[in-house]
Amino acid sequence: MLHPLFDAVETVFFTPTIATASNTHVRDNLDLKRFMSLVLVALMPPLLFGIYNTGYQSHAATGRTLDFIPVFISGLTIVMPILVVTYAVGLFWETVFARIRKHKISEGFLVTGLLFPLTLPPTIPLWQVAVGISFGVVIGKEIFGGTGRNFLNPALTGRAFLFFAYPAHMSGDAVWRVIEKADAKVVDAVSGATPLAIAGLAQAGDNITTLLNKAGYTMEVLVVGNLPGSIGETSALLCLVGAVGLMVVGVASYRIIIGGVLGVLATGYFLNMFAGPTSSALLGIDPFYHLILGSFAFGIAYMATDPVSAPGMNHSKWIYGFMIGVFTVLIRVFNPAYPEGVMLAILFMNLFSPLLDYFEIRLSIRKRVANV
Amino acid sequence: MISVNIKKGFDLKITGAPSNVLETLDKPSHVAVLPEKIPFIKPRLKVQVGEKVKVGSPLFEDKRNPDIRFMSPGGGEVVRIDFGPRRVIQEIVILLDENEAYEVFDQVEPQAFDSLAREDLVKALLSGGLWPFLRTLPFRDIADPDKTPPALFVSLDSLEPFQPHSEIYLNGNAELFRFGLKILNRLSPCVYTTVAHANETVRKRLKGEITHAYKGAYPAHDPGVLLYRIKKTPEENAAWYIYGQDVLHLARFFKEGRYPINRIVSLGGSSLSTRKHFKTRAGVPLRHLVRKSEIDGSTRYIVGGIFSGCHGEPDGYMGFYENALNVLPLPDKPEPLAFSRPGFNKLSYSRTFLSSLRTTALDGDCNMHGEERACVNCGYCSEVCPVDILPQFTLKALLVDEIEEALAHGLLDCVQCGLCSYVCPSKIELADILTQFKASYYRER
Repeated sequence: MLHPLFDAVETVFFTPTIATASNTHVRDNLDLKRFMSLVLVALMPPLLFGIYNTGYQSHAATGRTLDFIPVFISGLTIVMPILVVTYAVGLFWETVFARIRKHKISEGFLVTGLLFPLTLPPTIPLWQVAVGISFGVVIGKEIFGGTGRNFLNPALTGRAFLFFAYPAHMSGDAVWRVIEKADAKVVDAVSGATPLAIAGLAQAGDNITTLLNKAGYTMEVLVVGNLPGSIGETSALLCLVGAVGLMVVGVASYRIIIGGVLGVLATGYFLNMFAGPTSSALLGIDPFYHLILGSFAFGIAYMATDPVSAPGMNHSKWIYGFMIGVFTVLIRVFNPAYPEGVMLAILFMNLFSPLLDYFEIRLSIRKRVANV
Repeated sequence: MISVNIKKGFDLKITGAPSNVLETLDKPSHVAVLPEKIPFIKPRLKVQVGEKVKVGSPLFEDKRNPDIRFMSPGGGEVVRIDFGPRRVIQEIVILLDENEAYEVFDQVEPQAFDSLAREDLVKALLSGGLWPFLRTLPFRDIADPDKTPPALFVSLDSLEPFQPHSEIYLNGNAELFRFGLKILNRLSPCVYTTVAHANETVRKRLKGEITHAYKGAYPAHDPGVLLYRIKKTPEENAAWYIYGQDVLHLARFFKEGRYPINRIVSLGGSSLSTRKHFKTRAGVPLRHLVRKSEIDGSTRYIVGGIFSGCHGEPDGYMGFYENALNVLPLPDKPEPLAFSRPGFNKLSYSRTFLSSLRTTALDGDCNMHGEERACVNCGYCSEVCPVDILPQFTLKALLVDEIEEALAHGLLDCVQCGLCSYVCPSKIELADILTQFKASYYRER
């Protein structure tokens, strides 16, 4: 029963030596293990900062010390259980399906298993983590045939499931900071509302930048990410570091990432044209704020660039990234029920990637001199 | 001279290139022909074990067209005929006599050539066993003697690691080569002689003859790639091609009236200590070629280039079309935590290793460097494909039997260069699968 698991662990430590069998006698050193582990490396900055920030928010809310080491340890005690449950439950499903299908465990899960906890609020009950990753892996991936055949991003599928199934634990102002029952003395002055929630509640005529500044969310804070939110999403700066790294090594498509940023800015400026004293305040927000608010940076760097659920053709990647940016802003601005639009924008565009590929392939076939 | 720029492809910077030194090897004790390695033919034996043959005596013919014959590359006695599974003929081995006898064919002087009719020329090439050097795209079968091709590509160089340099086999043979081109001009109205732009020596030496100079990475030299860039109509897909050294064989056949058995063979690969060009003969035993090299550890003998060559046994022989032997190390022990190394000395197309900052050649071996996984649509294969096939999508179409879709993607334009298999991080045998589907489509037609 556990053979696929043993095998997976063994091949991590010792890359098997298989001699080439076909007429292509020499092969590239790059394999899927390295491909995926580079994503893990790129996820380290948001993960480590997320651990620190989770501890920091918890300490700040309860008036405890803000020294680095105790804060980081608190963060570890909150984040590690979520991470461990995700990997344990996810690997269980991977092993079950690897066993049934008689194939090896794909390294793709290592990425899914790290992405998923980083999108969750730190207060999430562990049983929901288990249910969420189960949904993501089984319904989001395995029932379609496993790695390479899923048309949705499994980590986001799991998160979307939790978001709609247990909204009380996934949204609102209370879920973003861990406040143990024991430390009852919550510091009143510190709000648990995320910047997006503040922006969403703005009345017509308000200036959102002023509102955010008043709540302590200046541009610098938003970029660095020392604020309440999902575990790994808060720091736009560190997501940028990861994204640049992935683009440099060529693991993430720069077309998707740059396309996404352009989509956000274009839509933001376009909506600015309709902003007035009586219109929704979100129409008038500086488009650059859309890039650093919420989880756009995290989503476009790590989620949208999943090669399986993104299109494979180059022009389609531009369109796909751009449309993710467009929908992110549209959902944020026009849909008061969902303060955050990135998750839905990416899942929505996941559905369109096969269609985008289909049309681009048709066009590229038309350019060929037929050879039948 | 037309310049052709090939943008896609990949130059693998691997150590073990043969030097430009040419050494003449002495005569081997025996030679062989390997019918199994010649694609598509259905051989019918014309000799038996123990029979005496001359250089140029027919050994077997192709049942599909008995006019297509394959000749003995040596004079002596047929000592062994090896059969494989389902009685496929693997090897016909000939023990060479001290003084070999030659079959005599009609000599034709270059001057007398103009009065020779095309059909007589075809007949002469068929009866001399030289016809199989002419092959036809897109399936790379032997050309059909009853047809006239829309174009004929002469490919002088190969960018595949490692193949003989045209500079060496053309040295002193420029006149002979021109005669060869004259023969080809009678076969096709339009002969394209192609050479790498970087190969200045040959480009200058054959100035009047070269029609196309290509710039680009492997496999820019391939007639299929050049045809893909040049062609304007679907009729051109059936172009023929021949490799540079084989043009010399055609010329030599008419000049000397003998079946040509000289071959310039390159020896490369990091496992060999003596890497250079050798003047030897067709069907030479591999052991005879590597005598001067010390070979350590377990190795793979590759007859042909490292992206598309056949597996050779140390006891094996050179094939009919191959003029290169490459010997590379086989992987011996598992590498601990290989995926996490910075990889300053790891060959890779991708930028995921520090080696992408280096420009020097690196050692390579016959290791898969990973296990097979599902395709994750990373797109490296379509980035390198020289004829713009989308291997990752074409593969999926083929696996669900959507042959029409795969053909529309350009399956038949595939030049079988092996780059898609090389770059695949999921270690999928893309080139193998595409080639097999292409061949079975051809057989069913």
